[in-house]
Amino acid sequence: MVTATDTGLVARPAAEAARSDKALSPDAVVLRLRNVDAYYGSRRVVRGISLDIARNAITAIIGPSGSGKSTLLRCIDRMHEVVPHARATGLLEYRGIDLYDRRIDPAAVRRSIGMVFQQPNPFPTMSIFDNVAAPARFNGLIKGHGAAADVVEKCLKKAALWDEVKDKLRQSGTSLSGGQQQRLCIARALAMAPDVLLMDEPCSALDPVATLQIEQLMVELKASYTILIVTHNMQQAARVSDRTAFLTMGEDGAGYLVEEGPTGRIFTQPSEQLTEDYISGRFG
Amino acid sequence: MAVEYLALLKPTSRARRFQANLIVFLAAVATLLAFVPLAAVAGYLVSQGAGVINLDFFTQDPPGDLSATGGGIRNAIAGTFEMAGLATVIAAPIGILIAIFNAEVGGRIGAAVRFFIDVLAALPSIVVGIFVYTLVVVAQGHFSGFAGSLALAIIMLPVIVISTEEMFRLLPRPIREGTRALGLTRWRTYLSVFIPTALSGIFTGLLLAISRAVGETAPLIFTSLGNNFFSTDMSEPMQALPLLIYRNALNSAYPAARDRAMGAALTLVAIVLLFNLLGRWLVASRRPGGRAGR
Repeated sequence: MVTATDTGLVARPAAEAARSDKALSPDAVVLRLRNVDAYYGSRRVVRGISLDIARNAITAIIGPSGSGKSTLLRCIDRMHEVVPHARATGLLEYRGIDLYDRRIDPAAVRRSIGMVFQQPNPFPTMSIFDNVAAPARFNGLIKGHGAAADVVEKCLKKAALWDEVKDKLRQSGTSLSGGQQQRLCIARALAMAPDVLLMDEPCSALDPVATLQIEQLMVELKASYTILIVTHNMQQAARVSDRTAFLTMGEDGAGYLVEEGPTGRIFTQPSEQLTEDYISGRFG
Repeated sequence: MAVEYLALLKPTSRARRFQANLIVFLAAVATLLAFVPLAAVAGYLVSQGAGVINLDFFTQDPPGDLSATGGGIRNAIAGTFEMAGLATVIAAPIGILIAIFNAEVGGRIGAAVRFFIDVLAALPSIVVGIFVYTLVVVAQGHFSGFAGSLALAIIMLPVIVISTEEMFRLLPRPIREGTRALGLTRWRTYLSVFIPTALSGIFTGLLLAISRAVGETAPLIFTSLGNNFFSTDMSEPMQALPLLIYRNALNSAYPAARDRAMGAALTLVAIVLLFNLLGRWLVASRRPGGRAGR
């Protein structure tokens, strides 16, 4: 999906707007969550999440273990319901479209909203080239080998991996280091031309050098994409994100949204005591 | 300080050391014991059967009269390959599809299918033979290589399903989640990611199934019957190695027949070994970076 933001011209104001304390204007919101609950069977694990996600900005979701951060993320690209007896309720709107409408194809949602996981997962039987090109080709986004080579180069460059792998595109995807594999997975997700990129603790399995590379990459990518990152690393959220949402587990065992706002304010002048406690390390 | 150090030392007394190594010793003995029947059978076959192996043995058909020397087992080798080949062509796609079905469909239906496959696996092979005899041989009015292949396919099917399904279940969760998160359709996921990733396991399962099939005698007695001549016509009765071994062994009072049976048995074991090695080589050469990755 090519949008005006790809040119980067509209991006800077969008990120700056996201970082300000003013309420987000409607056209700056790409995802709207209203009263979202998530269940595993009859057990509610996420309660009443209402949140606006700003476009072309990085939003971090932080909170202690078990607060439903990953579950919430997976509700957005309809991965949550893949687990037997799992379901989500509430309103989840993407650019005005109700993602849980009966007529919506979950697979199509996942092509517009890409996801990168904690554990890099390149396809082991495919080369680096095929890892990036194949999923997009299977979904009909690329036709012909020439077009595939273009997309592979473009996406590997966007993922800051091109220079390191351009001479070994035919080697196995798993022959790369952890950080490189994660960038390969990002390139693969980008090849689907998504709008939003969900990242579930993308740096947890990586060393500090690779983590820094991914963080730098995220800041570059937000010019063209909207990024939502779940992280248990508060410092990472403070470094990288424009807005932060803080979730914690309530007494009923379900995660709920305590506070959300521009990252600068959340970390220096949080409105809630709970947020203050978490950020200063009194729990979590 | 001295007391703690002593507590950390390895046991030095003979009795303690023996105790510590006892399990290792017993396990080693058990392993060696397990090799004894294998070595005994291999040694026996080689010593008894090698004498009759020569080029003629593989290029000529057996004489009409079992007690006569000379001739070979060409028709039996060909028949074994032909029937096992057709059985694989029939059973492999069906087996893999059933495995995919089982892996994707949970709940009661998946459990029921799995149960029936287990029952099929436990079916005595002679019963399979009689089943195919009634359904195909009687209906067609004659024995045939095709009926033999069908019987072998039924025997191979549960082995393929069970091992392939296990392979899919062993696929790492990151791979399974990754394909879903990319919005790939299920069939495309299986075709281009899951099956290639699980391929070595699937091949092993196919080999296990083929190994079992080529050794089966009872179902072939009722279906392909046997043939003294070389044949490529699946609608005719067909010879196979187990059938030839069986008939010659029954007549092992005649030294010629006995030698022929031993030579055929040695050949059969060698063929099974060949399938194994071939399968491993094929899978190894498919990896990207090996032959040009696809």
